[in-house]
Amino acid sequence: MTDVSKPTTPPQPAVSAGGPPAQTGAPPAAAPADADHVSLTIDGMSVSVKKGTNVLEAARSLGIDISAFCYHPGLPIVAQCRQCLVSIEKNPKLQPSCQQIVGEGMVVHTTDAASTLARKQLLEFTLLNHPIDCPICDKAGECTLQRLYFENDNADSRVDVPKVHKAKVVDLGPTVVLDQERCILCSRCIRACDATSGKHQLDFAHRGDHEVLTTPPGEQLDNPYSLNTVDVCPVGALTSKDFRFTMRAWELEATPSVCNGCATGCNVEIHHRNGRAWRLVPRHNPDVNSYWMCDEGRFTYHALREDRLAGTVVDGLPASWDRAVRVAADHLANQVGSGGAIGVVLSAQHSNEDNFALAKLAKLWGVATVYVAAKPPVADRADGRLRVADVNPNSAGVAEIAKGLGLQTAAVEDLAAGIKTVIMLGDILPGVDDDRLAQLDVIAIATHERGPVKHAKVAFPASAWAEISGTVTNNKGHVQRMHAAFAPPGQALPAWEAIVRLAQASPTTAGKLAFAHAREVFTDMTKSVAAWGALTWARDARPLALRFAGSRG
Amino acid sequence: MATPNPSDPSARSLRQLVLGRDPARDLSDNEQELPPDLMTVNMGPSHPAMHGTVRIVLTVDGERVVAGDVQPGYLHRCFEKESEHATYTQVFPYTDRLNYVSPMINNCGWAMAVEKLMGLTDRIPKRAEYVRVIVSEMSRMTDHLTCVGASAMELGAFAVFLFFLKGREWLYELLEKVSGARLTHSYVRIGGVGKDLPPNFHADLTLCLDQIEKVLVEGEGLLNNNKIFRDRMAGIGAMSKEVAIATGCVGPIARACGVDYDVRKDYPYSIYPEVEFDVPVGTTGDCLDRYLVRLEELKQSMRILRQCLKQIPDGPVMVDDPRVALPPKAATYNTIESMIRHFKHIMDGIKVPAGEAYTFVEGGNGELGFFIVADGTGRPYKAYVRSPSFVHLSTAERLIHGHLIADVVPIFGMINMIGGECDK
Repeated sequence: MTDVSKPTTPPQPAVSAGGPPAQTGAPPAAAPADADHVSLTIDGMSVSVKKGTNVLEAARSLGIDISAFCYHPGLPIVAQCRQCLVSIEKNPKLQPSCQQIVGEGMVVHTTDAASTLARKQLLEFTLLNHPIDCPICDKAGECTLQRLYFENDNADSRVDVPKVHKAKVVDLGPTVVLDQERCILCSRCIRACDATSGKHQLDFAHRGDHEVLTTPPGEQLDNPYSLNTVDVCPVGALTSKDFRFTMRAWELEATPSVCNGCATGCNVEIHHRNGRAWRLVPRHNPDVNSYWMCDEGRFTYHALREDRLAGTVVDGLPASWDRAVRVAADHLANQVGSGGAIGVVLSAQHSNEDNFALAKLAKLWGVATVYVAAKPPVADRADGRLRVADVNPNSAGVAEIAKGLGLQTAAVEDLAAGIKTVIMLGDILPGVDDDRLAQLDVIAIATHERGPVKHAKVAFPASAWAEISGTVTNNKGHVQRMHAAFAPPGQALPAWEAIVRLAQASPTTAGKLAFAHAREVFTDMTKSVAAWGALTWARDARPLALRFAGSRG
Repeated sequence: MATPNPSDPSARSLRQLVLGRDPARDLSDNEQELPPDLMTVNMGPSHPAMHGTVRIVLTVDGERVVAGDVQPGYLHRCFEKESEHATYTQVFPYTDRLNYVSPMINNCGWAMAVEKLMGLTDRIPKRAEYVRVIVSEMSRMTDHLTCVGASAMELGAFAVFLFFLKGREWLYELLEKVSGARLTHSYVRIGGVGKDLPPNFHADLTLCLDQIEKVLVEGEGLLNNNKIFRDRMAGIGAMSKEVAIATGCVGPIARACGVDYDVRKDYPYSIYPEVEFDVPVGTTGDCLDRYLVRLEELKQSMRILRQCLKQIPDGPVMVDDPRVALPPKAATYNTIESMIRHFKHIMDGIKVPAGEAYTFVEGGNGELGFFIVADGTGRPYKAYVRSPSFVHLSTAERLIHGHLIADVVPIFGMINMIGGECDK
């Protein structure tokens, strides 16, 4: 179940259930032994892994999940939590499996008395001063500490002294709140902050049971990747201000998708329930975003519920789909019939399927030049990491489609003077001033009711990115698949479907643009766009109910 | 025949006013005779004698049943499918609603199936096993008292119904003291039972049994040699031993036909090997034998209960295994370890290793089996219940064939179909 992607892109799991996928190392168990590989035995099973792999990953490739807090496949290894201790034969002391690199002929035991006891003792130690917060903790249900305690220790408390109390609400910055009591001092967040933003904004202070996570004096956790620290936190110490106290994790469903915030196209999971998204979390893709995404991208889900166009509008008044389609189709047919020019505006904010359907309709009308509406670049966004200046998710896709269909493209600001009627995807016409807009008859297919859509002659409500099956093409040319998480508001339909209805309503184009499913648009598109010829459409992913996924930790 | 003047209201009979016609006047002599052809009559789904909700489409030749199309399913609640979405512990309330006249036995059957998957069967504390048998036998008594009492009522013996339901109510009150609920107990847990027996339980149950014994004497005195009752029961709905085996009948129905099969004896479970009891077996396989077998089983259940009260040991009623036992409430509120364990038990469910298991117990109506396929998570991957009522109902058409419509009532009563169990 790979995403639609460039043939060179390795398949990624559509839903990363059960912990992070194996790191870049860890080839399959049956890999042949050669110079690059070493063989070792873990719990009686032999495995051959790439040189330099650590024992923990080697064990995971065998399905043995060694408990660990501080280890994260995308972060530097510090062996700080000691939770992953294992016995290695001919080695007098237990070794942290995350830091121990595999050696030829190594014999590892993870279930012997010594390492089992070590695991239990460390969990008991970790829980010593842990507050009894599960019922009010945002992490409950997806907490690594809960999972590891239940699977590895499950013993009663032996503590008979009061717990050490620390600050419960520490404001770390604009996005994150810290509960120092819940913190188990694994340092994942410190390393995640360093790795994603390049800024060292978190560190430990004090010693022993007074040790706390904190920001350096005068500093804030205010980098644009700060919420990744919340993702990697194995407990509920770091919580997102945006998400905390809004929804219990186990009530949510996860649908794989792609962030539409910019041209990077970070892979995300939409966590949703009852027809609305509650948060976006990054999904592992080594070629695009690794394990991370930026804060701005995480907040894009809010726009799914703001200013949405939910019904068809004709001349500023609500209308039925049928009437709106008829009015728009008649108007466009008159323009085509009388030789008037139609401005066809594709949108870098919309999916490949939506743009392809409109571009193909333009081709049927005999239009030679299509215009592309795109949000202007934000230069100071580009940081050489995940954030780029282009804040459109599909600039590359629109260009590729126009090329594939043999259409010229131009920016919307260069809209030809003779054009009186515009059919547009999206809700922006950058560079078209109000005077010009007042002279235009606009037929808009848009997700949001703003900008030119407010003054459109006919406006069709379209499903937004979280509500459609479709693809977008990121700045590296990866064609990435989005899955529909929930139903669109009101009478909205996928934009390509509105275009198909328009085409069917006009005698000149009826029957020439007949798609019944996004898959059919996509298949037709791969035939027209040479670069995408090898792509195939993956089955729609069904939402994964986190309740049934157990604590993914 | 003198034709009445339709315009004269005084000449119209009441029948004419109600029916629009007066058969005595408007029909010819030929038309007034009963039609010679077969007739279709609906019995149920809402009929006082159709226990639960089941429909029989009878084809009758006059008063005699030629064919009966039995249509269950009106109480289908998707028990098996719903179980896939519930944790193993959350299924107990669903099992309560299978045979809702003896829910404790259903509870035990489900718990035993899960315990078999987890390898806990031999680790259940002795006291918990005794408590399970005590509540199971009490449930068997409520089941049989209801079945016999209701069937007697349907044949006109209303006093017996009141007597027997009085006895059932005593048992229900006691079970309510034990579990907190009168009917849907949800008392048994994986690894034991929810809580220990209430104080004074021994004395209460002893008194209850003594009084029910008197009720049984009264009831038997009114029924056993009652000519009306015997005429309506003896020789009605008879089934041979071979047919009973071929159709998969179990429990009192099979035993009335002479099949000596009781799960408690033939595949002993829990502490049944430690108590003495007899399995009554009939000879004729008719309604009267089914009644007599149930009466005798009531007495045998009381015998088991009295032995259990003597033999029950002290000790815990829950297995000492953190994988299945909920921590005590005080510990849950005051230590993080127990809080996490409580959370995981409630939210994720008890983790049952992957595999499949079938266990069966002697339910009120016979062998009640649970088949579970586990996938290693806290919820069943698939669950199936072998419900005796469903099997028994399949024999109904065969049994009522050739009898009078009135005989459908005792036959159906003695099959003792329980809608919740049959339709699942």
